[in-house]
Amino acid sequence: MITITINNKEIKLEKAVTVLEAARSAGIKIPTLCYHEQLEKYGGCRLCLVEVEKMPRLQTACTLMVTDGMIVRTETEAIADVRRGILEFLLINHPLDCPYCDKAGECELQDLVEKYGPTTGRFKEKKRKVTENLQDPVIVRNMERCVMCTRCTRMCEGVQGASAIGVVSRGGHSHVEPFSGNRYDCEYCGNCVSVCPVGAIMSRLHRHSYRPWQVKENIETVCPYCGVGCTVVAQVRDDVIKRLVPKIGSPVNNGMLCSRGRFGYEFVGHGDRLTTPLIRKNGVFEVATWEEAIGLVAQRLGEIKDKNGSGAVAGIASPRCTNEDNYVFQKFMRVTLGTNNIDSTARMGYAGAQSFIENIFGQGATGNIISGLSNSDAVLVVGGDPTTVNPILGLQIRACSRRGGSILTVGHLPGFQHFSPLELNPGLNHETQLFEHILEHIVGELVSRKVLPGSNPLLEAKIKTVQADVAEMMKEPAISEKDFAGFIEKLAGAATPAVVIGKELIQSSGGGYKLFLICAITYLINGRIYLLSDHANEQGVLDMGCAPDLLPGYRPLSYAEFRKRYETAWKTTLSDKPGLNIFEMIDAAGNGALKALYVMGENPVFNLPDAKTVEAALRKLEFLVVQDIFMTETAQQADVVLPALSWGEKYGTFTNMERRIQRVRKTVDREGMEDWRIIAEVSKHMSQRMQYADAGAVFEEITRVSPLHRDLTYDEIAEGHTIYPYKGEPLRGATAEIKIEKGSSYPDGPLLLGVARPLFHSGTLSRKSPALLKIYPEAVVRINPATAAPLSIADGDIVRVTSSAGSLELPAVIDKHVEKQVVLIPNIFEGKGALSLIAIALDPVLKAPVLDSTPVTLERVGKVSA
Amino acid sequence: MTILSQTALQEIDEIRQNYPTARAALLPALYVAQREFGWLSPEAYAAVSDLLGVPPAIARGVGTFYAMYKNKPMGRHVVQLCTNVSCMILGAEKLVDFLKNKYGLEPGGTTVDNRFSLVIMECIGACGTAPAMLVNDDFYENLTEKYIEEILGKYQ
Amino acid sequence: MANVLLKNIENPNSADISEYKKVGGYTSLQKVLGKDPKSIIDEVKKAGLRGRGGAGFPVAMKWTFASADPKFPKYLLCNADEGEPGTFKDRPILEKNPHVLIEGMVISGYALGSEYGFIYLRGEYPAAKDILNKAIKQAYADNLLGDNILNKGVKFHLAVHQGAGAYICGEETALIESLEGDKGQPRIKPPFPVNVGVFAKPTVVNNVETLSNLPYIIEIGGEAYAKIGSADCPGPKIYCVSGHIEHPGVYELPMGTTLKDIIYTHCGGIKGGKKLKAVIPGGISTPVLPPDKIDCPMDFVNMPKHGSMLGSGAVIVMDESVCLVKVCHRALKFFEHESCGKCTPCREGTGWLRSILGRIEKGEGASGDIDLLLSIAANMVGKTFCPLGDGAASVVQNFIKHFRPEFEEHISAKACPNR
Ligand SMILES: Cc1cc2nc3c(=O)[nH]c(=O)nc-3n(C[C@H](O)[C@H](O)[C@H](O)COP(=O)(O)O)c2cc1C
Ligand code: SF4
Ligand code: FES
Repeated sequence: MITITINNKEIKLEKAVTVLEAARSAGIKIPTLCYHEQLEKYGGCRLCLVEVEKMPRLQTACTLMVTDGMIVRTETEAIADVRRGILEFLLINHPLDCPYCDKAGECELQDLVEKYGPTTGRFKEKKRKVTENLQDPVIVRNMERCVMCTRCTRMCEGVQGASAIGVVSRGGHSHVEPFSGNRYDCEYCGNCVSVCPVGAIMSRLHRHSYRPWQVKENIETVCPYCGVGCTVVAQVRDDVIKRLVPKIGSPVNNGMLCSRGRFGYEFVGHGDRLTTPLIRKNGVFEVATWEEAIGLVAQRLGEIKDKNGSGAVAGIASPRCTNEDNYVFQKFMRVTLGTNNIDSTARMGYAGAQSFIENIFGQGATGNIISGLSNSDAVLVVGGDPTTVNPILGLQIRACSRRGGSILTVGHLPGFQHFSPLELNPGLNHETQLFEHILEHIVGELVSRKVLPGSNPLLEAKIKTVQADVAEMMKEPAISEKDFAGFIEKLAGAATPAVVIGKELIQSSGGGYKLFLICAITYLINGRIYLLSDHANEQGVLDMGCAPDLLPGYRPLSYAEFRKRYETAWKTTLSDKPGLNIFEMIDAAGNGALKALYVMGENPVFNLPDAKTVEAALRKLEFLVVQDIFMTETAQQADVVLPALSWGEKYGTFTNMERRIQRVRKTVDREGMEDWRIIAEVSKHMSQRMQYADAGAVFEEITRVSPLHRDLTYDEIAEGHTIYPYKGEPLRGATAEIKIEKGSSYPDGPLLLGVARPLFHSGTLSRKSPALLKIYPEAVVRINPATAAPLSIADGDIVRVTSSAGSLELPAVIDKHVEKQVVLIPNIFEGKGALSLIAIALDPVLKAPVLDSTPVTLERVGKVSA
Repeated sequence: MTILSQTALQEIDEIRQNYPTARAALLPALYVAQREFGWLSPEAYAAVSDLLGVPPAIARGVGTFYAMYKNKPMGRHVVQLCTNVSCMILGAEKLVDFLKNKYGLEPGGTTVDNRFSLVIMECIGACGTAPAMLVNDDFYENLTEKYIEEILGKYQ
Repeated sequence: MANVLLKNIENPNSADISEYKKVGGYTSLQKVLGKDPKSIIDEVKKAGLRGRGGAGFPVAMKWTFASADPKFPKYLLCNADEGEPGTFKDRPILEKNPHVLIEGMVISGYALGSEYGFIYLRGEYPAAKDILNKAIKQAYADNLLGDNILNKGVKFHLAVHQGAGAYICGEETALIESLEGDKGQPRIKPPFPVNVGVFAKPTVVNNVETLSNLPYIIEIGGEAYAKIGSADCPGPKIYCVSGHIEHPGVYELPMGTTLKDIIYTHCGGIKGGKKLKAVIPGGISTPVLPPDKIDCPMDFVNMPKHGSMLGSGAVIVMDESVCLVKVCHRALKFFEHESCGKCTPCREGTGWLRSILGRIEKGEGASGDIDLLLSIAANMVGKTFCPLGDGAASVVQNFIKHFRPEFEEHISAKACPNR
């Protein structure tokens, strides 16, 4: 116990903290500027100078650690003079443009000057003049206002790890700049904006349209973008989200956001939003009333069910919708329509991988705490770059490296290039052999010490069957013995290893087998698994039972005892026949077995491989209902389009990849209905009443029905600290047979298409977010310079990319980070999606589509205009 | 893809061995790049950054902090004249005027023929033989106008 | 007293290892290897050696801290940044007698348990870089550096790290940052470099001149060494004298030689027999002295009692022709240029002071400007992150303290009276 005295007040402390922290804990205010709780100590601004007995000089409270018996004074006359003096220095070069500055009202300098500052200025010389920099589409820099606290650069380098901005020059000439001096060319996390205490770095999105004191409400909600589920605070004025900011202390992202989260909210009020129901009449959409539209949907679904049986109807749920939406939707399918034909795009990999992993390790095996990654001593990353797919999780891996842990990657991941990763890059063709080889080596290490874990005999038996073809692995691009040995040493020697698995592995050729190898490696090193997830509620959509074989709370449909519980709760009898998965639905539609499809918040034409086939299949349906917020490619094919409220306009919950259940809160008012309410209305028209007053009532039912959510309430999850199973019981099923099938292999020789996963986009939401579009405006094809050169393709040239499924013409970006063998196209922009070029082929084990082995040819069709 | 010469790459690689971290080789590597390009152009920073795994914005921050790195193109020869107190009181300022009048060489500037750039230095440790200057890497002391003319004649 | 640190420098080949060995070079190292390293630290303690970099910190004390820290490896850094204007005392060692430094560093490294040394050499000394590198090569060739020095199982590696023009890198934590490939901005202390220094390992930073004393201390023993010069800070000291002086240059004299003696006895007095106006005794950051205050022993203990500091021992002599406002202005221009920008008072204050001084010098000063200067300086002193900012402010304070009338004259005459 340490006892110190500040301003005659005795303060007892458990552990040594800074004088500033001690003072704050006792409610004593010490002014600060360069200090920021998320950043490393700096001690530069000198505002926090205090008197400490027995120390000759004044001391900065933000850096000085307390020692027992320390006596501190923070409010003497002398200290007041010091503060005035420092503020006077800061104002020398600071323009007095508060009336014009967007920061006014939440400017730390303004507040400090008001409280401690000089009343008149003695500075008569010329102030520094720097024009505002508007070169960047989303961030504006006004270096005239900068006070050189370096909070932004310390954030950018030390926390975000992007190191995109730096202090250039020195002394009085120092200023903050991105490398280019103009545009940022960075990760656009905007975390520099968060920490800037003055109006020097600000978001352009709300420029001159926003004043802190005009904010009516600060509404805490969950980011709509990825499976990390960051807490965001929406600041709203006149029913418009003015900005989204993070919150320090929130459990997942603790004050950090990524570009999508911070700048991607403008889709909410976008002019392209669907506003009224539409009914296709004679081939064209006509505006309809809700009454008409819902009536028609109920009538047609009823007719088809009666005529063709429940099996002729299917539903596609959404990883972008809330748990409440998805729960009601699957209940509607199962109870009202009597079918288990319900699935979602979680089938694109997350679902299959998760159940494969859980089969080996037990339920919840992938539900590890994201922030724990930074404490690992080694993180193995496979299957893509977490810093773009799940950026805030990526930060934790960077932090791990900063704390001395090792980042081990298979493949080249640009997001870690400045974090000294140990990188093995076998090229696509030899990835499997590399994993086998790693496994063999680790087995070797363990066997030599006679310590095979023994806890999973089934798995160990399988491990013994693996044999690596080392010679094959060492082929182009060669992996050196030294690199491999270093990699193994770190991996096998780690005490707290984590394994991060991305979709690129799951969606790769032989993905199921590779996943088995990774699981085996993880087992042997005793690692924790993180399964990356690119949708906000991808976990939740599965949890809610939007799967052909699972009921809410992950209960397998095939067990009668389980079914019974739901039948009781829902007062119905459930079909015991597993439904169609999303790919089977497309097949069934194509061959005429499926007659009606209800799509909620999803865009299968765009988000499933092989757009042409999917489109053709949907065209064969007798009845297609699409419920969405925008007129998507799929909606364009619909018979009825129903406009739903979006994320920002409704209440509900999301469950992130850690299985943290968090509140989504309404930020703005908009006329219309939530997805679940529309469904309930349809159901009511089909004489199956689903009566919920609000989202809370739906959730209440979920907590009664799903054993994983038992007894939760909105109150309990309000702070985001709830990770299921909370009060409910997990299902730790015994391992069933572990399936190993090598799956397809790569075609030898040709260029292969890869799906780019840019940091700035998610698809449907992001392409309606102007700020994100300004950062990343259009689809491009990324090509390695070595691939481009012989084809005479230069940066900006228009290139035709052709596969057996189709072709696209896109501008080229020459990018040395792309593998030589691969060309990358994102699946973001309408009519230009990578998936449209890929034929559907599923992995035999995971039942996820293989997305990385489509041969393509390139042809330059247009030269960049000089 | 780096644009540094093979010799430069090798030199940086050797320097790298002196230190326990790649980052520590940044200052010497920037010197090498500066020698190659004549100044630290964006390409030079990018090349060094690639080689050492240091983010370019950080490399540039470092490269602009130190006075001896040149962040704009320089003339063929860099005249670095000290004007700190010992040199100043022994006439360095007159020499600045002389350079301006005789060669059209302004502090911070470059002659039109691109032959010389002039950099005003803080103390260069030649106070006992002031005024003094460096031309490129060569020291010249006890300067007079006449002596400067003679010296600069050697640099074409 | 014969030159110790500058021994042999009249010899045009003094930098060559064979010439150095001819005058007894590397015998101290021979003598010391194999002894208990602690005993060397004891010897240094007996010698009473104080750092020559400016602060006069007792060397043995710093070494004891570092050698007591259990972390390995430890680093020995030689501070050859010599940036303090007026200072050119390390340069002759580096260029003319590099082996005395290398020998001193190997001995120090051995005493500390350090196996790695760097010489942080200022970028403005390109010639010294080549000379040092050549000398280091020679020392490696003669097995005086390497993994098994003189076959005594002692390891010490040495390399030169070239700075790039930043005065602040003379400050030891800024030096460490710079060696790590960063901007030279001072670090928060604690932790001190002796515990967490370069590459987060225990680190000793000593000045060139300091380390060059080691061979001599070993040669004659700490007790004998302690008898040279001032009692509280003994040893030979290199004074470097510049400005309006008959014989400018470096002088190795016993510590504590008075400023007056240095100027008039050793350097032949003021150039051209002119009148002395002011002396800066220890480099530009040390307080200026008027002619009546120069009868003071030049050492770390006595100079503060006489209103100034020994600093680097760089004496700048100014005769009656000099405008002191101009000198003060030039000094502040230097500090403004060299402020690292980390802390507010120094970053903003140096520029403000400089601009007011510039105004006064040009004859555009306003009444009240002198008090404004003093008030700004007072807002800086004791509030900056590192001593650079303090130094800048105290330069202004001391010029005004001793020469206020000259400042006032500039303001009232609206011109420089010296022109
Ligand atoms: C602004 C500033 C500049 C300094 N410059 C130098 C320098 O150029 N050379 C030097 O040896 N010490 C310099 N020092 C002192 C060093 O910080 C450090 O005290 C010294 O290198 C320790 O070595 P010593 O104990 O052998 O003197 C400087 C200190 C400050 C605050
Ligand atoms: S006093 Fe402050 S700004 Fe000046 S050099 Fe030291 S840390 Fe940098
Ligand atoms: S808050 Fe302590 S120095 Fe800035």
